[in-house]
Amino acid sequence: MRKLVTVFLCLVMSLLQVQAQNRTLTGKVTDEKGNPVVGASVLVKGTTIGTTSKEDGQYSLAVPPNAKELVFSALNLGTKEIKIDKNASVINVTLSAVVDNLEEVVVVGYGTKKKSDLTGSVATLKSADIESRPFSSVDKALQGKVAGLQSVAASGQPGASQNIIIRGVSSISGSSNPLWVIDGIPVNTGDVSRLQTTSNLLSTLNPNDIESISVLKDAASQSIYGSRAANGVIVVTTKKGKAGKTRFRFDTEVGQSNTAYKNDKYRPLNATEYLNITREGLVNLGASQAAIDGTLAALGLGTGVDFNWLDNVSRTGSQQQYNLSAEGGNDKTTFFISGGHFVQEGTTVNSKLTRTNGNVRITNKATDRLTLGVNLNVGAVSQRAPLSGGAFGNPVLSSYFLLPTKSAYNADGSWNLTNLGGLHNTLALSEIDKRFLRQTSIRGSAFAEYRILDNLKFRSQYGVDYNVLEEDQYNNPRHGDGAASNGRAYSYYTRYFNWVWTNTLDYQQNLTKGGDLSLNAQVGYEAQKSSGYFGSLRADQFPPTTALTYPASGASPFAASATISEYSFVSQFATASVNYQNRFVLSGSFRRDGSSKFSPSNKYGNFWSVGGTWNIDREKFMDDLSFVTQLKLRSSYGVNGSNTAIGNYDALPLYGYGSNYNYNQLPGSAPANVGDPNLTWELNKPFNVGVDVSVLKNRISFTAEYYNRTSASLLLQVPLSRTSGFSTATRNIGSMKNAGFEFSLNVVPVLKKDLRWEIDFNFANNKNTVTSLPGGADIINPNNTLQLIRVGLPVNSFFIREWAGVNPANGDPLWYSDDKRTSTTNVYPGAGARVVAGNSLPKYFGSLGTTLNFKGFTLSAQFYYNYGNMVYDTWAGYYLGSGFGATFNKVARQLDRWQKPGDITDIPRYVYNGNKNAQSSSTRYLSQGDFIRLRELQIGYNLPKSLIEKAKLTNVNFYVRGTNLFTWVKDKNLPFDPEQGTTSATNLNVFIPRTVTVGLNVAF
Amino acid sequence: MSRKYKFQTLLVIVLLATMSSCKKSFIELSSPTSLTPDQALATEGDLKVALFGAYAGMRNVDLFGRSLPVMGDLMADNAYQSALNTNRYTFYNDYSDTKGATATDGNALGMWTAAYTVILRANNIINSTIPANANVNQYKGEAYALRALAYFTLVRNFAKPYADSPDGMGVPIVTVYNPDLKPTRNKVSEVYALMIADLNQAYTLMTGFTNSSMFSKYAAKALQAKVYLHMGDKANAKTAALDVINNSGFSPLTTSNHASYWANSVVRTDKLETLYEVSSDAVANLSFDAIGYLYSQTGNYGDILCSDDLYALYGATDVRKALYPTGTRAGLPSVFINKYPVTTGDLSDTKVLRLSEMYLIAAEASLPTNEADALTYVNFITSRRGTTPILSTGAQLLEDILTERRKELAFEGDRFHDLQRLKRDVARSTNYPATSRTISYSVFRRILPIPQNEIDANPNLKPQQNTGY
Repeated sequence: MRKLVTVFLCLVMSLLQVQAQNRTLTGKVTDEKGNPVVGASVLVKGTTIGTTSKEDGQYSLAVPPNAKELVFSALNLGTKEIKIDKNASVINVTLSAVVDNLEEVVVVGYGTKKKSDLTGSVATLKSADIESRPFSSVDKALQGKVAGLQSVAASGQPGASQNIIIRGVSSISGSSNPLWVIDGIPVNTGDVSRLQTTSNLLSTLNPNDIESISVLKDAASQSIYGSRAANGVIVVTTKKGKAGKTRFRFDTEVGQSNTAYKNDKYRPLNATEYLNITREGLVNLGASQAAIDGTLAALGLGTGVDFNWLDNVSRTGSQQQYNLSAEGGNDKTTFFISGGHFVQEGTTVNSKLTRTNGNVRITNKATDRLTLGVNLNVGAVSQRAPLSGGAFGNPVLSSYFLLPTKSAYNADGSWNLTNLGGLHNTLALSEIDKRFLRQTSIRGSAFAEYRILDNLKFRSQYGVDYNVLEEDQYNNPRHGDGAASNGRAYSYYTRYFNWVWTNTLDYQQNLTKGGDLSLNAQVGYEAQKSSGYFGSLRADQFPPTTALTYPASGASPFAASATISEYSFVSQFATASVNYQNRFVLSGSFRRDGSSKFSPSNKYGNFWSVGGTWNIDREKFMDDLSFVTQLKLRSSYGVNGSNTAIGNYDALPLYGYGSNYNYNQLPGSAPANVGDPNLTWELNKPFNVGVDVSVLKNRISFTAEYYNRTSASLLLQVPLSRTSGFSTATRNIGSMKNAGFEFSLNVVPVLKKDLRWEIDFNFANNKNTVTSLPGGADIINPNNTLQLIRVGLPVNSFFIREWAGVNPANGDPLWYSDDKRTSTTNVYPGAGARVVAGNSLPKYFGSLGTTLNFKGFTLSAQFYYNYGNMVYDTWAGYYLGSGFGATFNKVARQLDRWQKPGDITDIPRYVYNGNKNAQSSSTRYLSQGDFIRLRELQIGYNLPKSLIEKAKLTNVNFYVRGTNLFTWVKDKNLPFDPEQGTTSATNLNVFIPRTVTVGLNVAF
Repeated sequence: MSRKYKFQTLLVIVLLATMSSCKKSFIELSSPTSLTPDQALATEGDLKVALFGAYAGMRNVDLFGRSLPVMGDLMADNAYQSALNTNRYTFYNDYSDTKGATATDGNALGMWTAAYTVILRANNIINSTIPANANVNQYKGEAYALRALAYFTLVRNFAKPYADSPDGMGVPIVTVYNPDLKPTRNKVSEVYALMIADLNQAYTLMTGFTNSSMFSKYAAKALQAKVYLHMGDKANAKTAALDVINNSGFSPLTTSNHASYWANSVVRTDKLETLYEVSSDAVANLSFDAIGYLYSQTGNYGDILCSDDLYALYGATDVRKALYPTGTRAGLPSVFINKYPVTTGDLSDTKVLRLSEMYLIAAEASLPTNEADALTYVNFITSRRGTTPILSTGAQLLEDILTERRKELAFEGDRFHDLQRLKRDVARSTNYPATSRTISYSVFRRILPIPQNEIDANPNLKPQQNTGY
């Protein structure tokens, strides 16, 4: 490291000697109406020499003697290239609104690229696509926006993490979530809570602070991120100030929410229904009359109580957010500052998120050659989330399990804390117990950019991604999870300090005199270290009051632990692209990653890509076809990797220490990790070919792409014979491929002065196939034992026993006896009877959107569709298991049970404590996951300029928006929301909300 | 220096700088909470720490933490599941040839996994090359005893009893760490031979006694007595039991200290009764999953109750009767179980080997040849429980000893395995579901399935699954 600094200093010193003999050009930049354009960029073509226009549109630029052309550009006003007359000293220019979006600049890894120069597959989103939405984090706002990017919620909890898959799953054990790069920093993302149900590091980032998002989908765009690129890369750029008079913007939105999808067949039974079916079950069990009467009395017969737990744990959610920003500056210095406040209450008791955040960015041109900048984005989130899944403290679970004959309250109005059949009164716990998560994130960077030569730029950026989570929990001594310890309280502190130092050199060179052939190249060096720090403590034995909720009040310290966990990277990278007359572009990239996660024998990996583009529209023979604005063919291939399946220390065989191994409060140790000295990253080799077509002045444009990516050295928690003392070991095994087709279409059928109608459509399919496994043997996915990994099948295939219905003669459950389906049996069959029964990931998905602008009005709608996956109902065995878990409540569908010989139904005879394993896993609990959702419906109105100018405002917009307003599902037996994460297994999470909001934007 | 030349020099310098990496250690990070096996087992002190880790493994919820003591009575005629239950162990309450656990059963998987986990921890201590001394020998001896106990657990639950056929399929024997091993099942007799050998080693190597939660010389001998009894080797069983009775220095439970003994949850150092128990302390415990919760009527579970016919066996003056208070559950008069009364703080430990059992083994092993000894040893117990002495002879004497055993060791996970080793049917009271009241010896579900996960990972076991699963 020290060596590098020395060299860097030498470099800077020697550069100070560089001199040039320049002359000065001046002029004025105006728009079509003659108004001065502030902040327009003025560049000497083929170099990085440039300036921006001032408030009066004037500019002044020292240009080298060999300069041939000036390039003028401004946001929304396109680009113009002007030849420099040898004798001219003044060049005025008029910029007109963008028609040719080929000159649009796209953010890619470590820089930007002209769209016409792109060889890779990059989808971009603008701030308008994501801001002011009722989503607690930006990842949730991506659903349906990008072809081939699947964004699925697993929970409606505000602040819950979101599952994102780009172009299919290419790892079995690793996360499929892409790498997020925010303002050049590869950040830590995901759920890092250790005590609470869920968290999302991205929830501290205000989507309203985002200027653009680029989704890198293929080798040419991804491979520059090396061993972390295989899941795709999402490059986020936050807002920058533009020069000019200081401009303010205020946005607010408020609204309410309820459950987006409900199936009446899965409503919990009321008291009478439950007691009647239980009586039937006891009779069917052959219980004596005394036992029937006794059991029913114990289950609440005769108490007259009929309590609907689901209604009581559900509530109307709420949503509000306020954002204020200011930007401006002069030709030397620009700034952007913003602040926001966001509050969301979920549809289940005790689910809430509050975010407050601020953002500052300042950029200064210190000299013609030196630019300095700093930005700081700080967000604080406070979150409350109930337990999820099978936890007795999960209010959603309890609303299906707790008996309707047991009220949350005693007759005197106090909480009912006993006599709940072993379950917890989650309503009481939601008030008495505490479950808090506070998350603070600081993301910021400082950079210096120095133009060494007119065509050589050095940039050094130090970025920080700092996240702190404080988690507090209190379980009261009287009831629930705290009763065993006479009350308990936890305090967990989690910190991730992630720093990245990036140094790049950008070089541009015309390779021929006329500039027909030009080169863009970049070399870079990056060092990164992420240090996690984890403090955990717990105290037990609390006073009987429920007012003292922090560990300080516990008499018995129970756990006190702190540790760290780190990973580091050292990387070198280079890119180059050669452009011939803007007709042909050839690009290449290379990155060498060294990482602490990799085993000693595989410490460094090399990753690369090549890509090519043919801008056919620039060919002479296309000149006659003037209706074609763009026709572009591009393709790429390369190698990158993924390391998400490797824990920080997985490569080493390890003995663990700590609470799992201690005995009589004396220290113990035991083998904890098998280790593998050859452990390496997962390889990904994506091939991409695409065509971009745009005709009739962009009235119709579409992109079609085909990709085929093969992934090898897949990491898997390989199941070991447990006789070894281990259940699994992380190993590189097997390979798979993902192939798919993506299509996006944008049409503007109507474009009149006051009327504009636009339609957007996108479609993606993906076919995953496992191509090799060790010895070709099937593997039950150790992360999800309901799924099979088999050569020739897609990786997320359900593999379970096949349900054969109900025997009409006696109501017995029936399964197929074997995987050949030759016979049926009422004895739950062995593992050999498991069959492949669909997949948890959809065959295709996409969205259809439309926007209608009429005068100041805007009407827009977006539908999201998803086809071809199955959803497994994890807990159905309890509420639909024909008597299994007899003392838990059941759902309405259970009432369709078999009752007498001849009954044709799919629900077996109800027997108290269960009917022949009817509750056990089978295709009975799989439903088709196809759905169409009205993701967004919005009506807005822009107040006329004439009206608002009097109030010195520049823009006022009102809107009403519905989110997830309507959901259609194909399978009427689908129990809960069709969105159940990428595992497509229900887990009784907080329900996904349907939200209606009203909003206001004011700019002045 | 021309500009061009200068630029090229610079570029070369920058490239060199970026290509030469930082200090290599920047990307060589070691775990802050774990050690490599070499580091972890380097010294005598490390061995002791690893030994505690092996003991902690026995506390697993599917070993002595809960499943073993629960299932050993629930599958027999002592414990039954209340109609009001949290659905734990239902398969082992209601089981028959047509109903009950399958190969994917979680408890079977948990037990299999946890037992082999203890075996690995013990193997690494046994196979350590640290030079021998008294401490090292003691630790290795304890590891041998733990390994024998783990195999005893496996072979009793996953294989047919020795009495069925010593050549029958036992469980795979693993004595050396190898993560890629895919073993087949050894014979029952081979597993028993290993246990006897391990316990001989344990007996020879150990010299010290630490407390009731750790193996000592005579705890190992006590386990050996029990293993011999399961093999039907009465002579050796009696010899071993008498060695413990006569030479261990442990004192017996009496009518006066019986109540306080069972109320206590603290590890003992006074050599009273407990030869070996699995400790749950105030920190390292299973919380709600601890066994006490399944019996306690004050918490949220209380699923498991004492069968009416067992309760009826305790005479009015029997001190053991106090462990079984009566009340109402699910609207029915019920008998509760109070052998694991402490459910907060330092939780009740799980008794594995008690001196009283040695007397019962000595009594049973004296039959049929020496009825006088049998009466002496069994009445050593009856006289210390406030109950009438046994006076019977012949076949009735064996029945009376087995009944005394049932009464004494109830809810310690012993009863079902007694019925197994004697190849007897389970005859249950009307507390149990009508379809599961007679579990004949031939019911295949009397032994657990080899877990499906194990078979999936180790195809060599596929043809060796227990019949019926």
